[in-house]
Amino acid sequence: MTGYLAFLKKEIFEYAKTYKLLILLVVFAVFGITNPLVAKLLPEILGSLVADGITITMPKATAYDAWTQFFKNATQMGLILTVILFSGVLSSELSKGTLVILLTKGLSRTAVILAKYTCMALLWTASIALCFGLTYVYTHYLFPADKVSNLPFSVFCLWLFGMFLLAVLLLSAVLTKSSYGCLLLTGAAVVACLLVNIIPAAHRYNPISLVTDKMGLIKNTIAVSSLFGAVFIAFLLALLFVSLAVLIFRKKQL
Amino acid sequence: MGILEINQLHKRFGQHEVLKGLEMDVPEHSIFGLVGQNGAGKTTTMKIILGLLKPDSGSVTVCGEKVAYGETKTNRHIGFLPDVPEFYGYMTAREYLKLCGEITGLSQTKTKVRSEELLELVGLKNEKKRIGSFSRGMKQRLGIAQALLNEPKLLICDEPTSSLDPIGRKEILDILLAAKGKTTVLFSTHILSDVERICDRIAVLHGGKLALYGTLAEVKQRHRYNGFVLEFENVETAAIFAKSKELQHPSISTTRSGNTVTVLLTGCDLDGHFFLDVLAQKRIVPLKFVALEPTLESLFLEVVQ
Repeated sequence: MTGYLAFLKKEIFEYAKTYKLLILLVVFAVFGITNPLVAKLLPEILGSLVADGITITMPKATAYDAWTQFFKNATQMGLILTVILFSGVLSSELSKGTLVILLTKGLSRTAVILAKYTCMALLWTASIALCFGLTYVYTHYLFPADKVSNLPFSVFCLWLFGMFLLAVLLLSAVLTKSSYGCLLLTGAAVVACLLVNIIPAAHRYNPISLVTDKMGLIKNTIAVSSLFGAVFIAFLLALLFVSLAVLIFRKKQL
Repeated sequence: MGILEINQLHKRFGQHEVLKGLEMDVPEHSIFGLVGQNGAGKTTTMKIILGLLKPDSGSVTVCGEKVAYGETKTNRHIGFLPDVPEFYGYMTAREYLKLCGEITGLSQTKTKVRSEELLELVGLKNEKKRIGSFSRGMKQRLGIAQALLNEPKLLICDEPTSSLDPIGRKEILDILLAAKGKTTVLFSTHILSDVERICDRIAVLHGGKLALYGTLAEVKQRHRYNGFVLEFENVETAAIFAKSKELQHPSISTTRSGNTVTVLLTGCDLDGHFFLDVLAQKRIVPLKFVALEPTLESLFLEVVQ
């Protein structure tokens, strides 16, 4: 336990000192501010570009558009950036040999993996919370009258999918030696999830539905309960992957 | 009982069998030099002791406890310095030692006191820079400091002096020598002069086994050549001695270069007295009469060939 806390502290310190924390927070903050702004300004920008004589009728921007931007940015750029930033989570320490010294000081391997997952989870949570908070406040300011439904639940789904993806990333990092291998495996896992979605029956339980269905959620065209299966499976798989990462890392030759 | 015991250790990487039944025993409070060519299995042996590699068969005990592969409790007795120690470049030496202290479970005050002591010992006391800007020698010294932090019973150093300049090497060896009273040191090297300078015990690893093992004096004694070097005043006297009838014996081989004659005895009960008698008969007084001492280098080459 002391090893876990000490190592977790070191991890957070590391992300702060190597500016990764800053990059993550700045990018998510920028997303948070621009989401409602883009939604508000896009029709006007497009309108000004249109030549005389042609009229395009644009629907008036709503809070729904702002949240569309939020989910698009957070799931695409946001998750990709997060995964890339964390891809060296283990490989850099193993290839440089920084971890070996600490392991020979009696730091348990379980603590290493758990601390690394905790740190990634904390950073992801902070980033998404920041992005959500900024979008929420700004959207409320720009579109005070509009209401969207199921917002907390759909953000929770996004967050959970991030946690699931980080578990996949961690397991990939334990299985492969390089950060590229780690990225490749994580990407393959996402592709596999997308492929599974081809089977209609699997859709309800596929973790990727957590991020593909949320537009329906805030539009209230998809029932919250239809995603419970996916929430359960994503949670279970994340737990399984982290446990597997621990078990494999414990027996890994370093 | 030794602080480190290795029994019948086997390890193979693919087709290549690195360790073939290694047996070793490191007694407490010794400085133990593990010598071998590159690829002889020194690092492999150390990694198995630390539970970082899984042996194919055999066992290792540290302080009477068996080493388990993967998560091993025995590491709390051990301080380890890898061949090229790498640290978190964004930390200072003090921050790094603080982290090490937290991981080993030392109290904060204890860590602070020990850190200052050790930084003094390794000469990094006034270093405020981040580790990222440290030179190789400084990293090596910080490596020793972190290895000694929790006062380990066994200090394992993997080629601590290779790739250092002569001054850096001397400093590292002095630090290891200073640590001797408090801990047992096992270090691997292929620099034989380092072994002669600080080790009291030596083991030569060759062909996956120990080819030579014992205290430095023992090993030299065991491999003493039965031979002498005689130096004479001039070439003529040397020639007279070398060509004398008495030395034309099947078990004596004589070689002369200039005024120096080397005589080697093989498989007979002749000894130094014999040559002294010959010298007395010829009424020759040599300038020098020295028994041949094996050097570590000659021993090493003999064993490795």
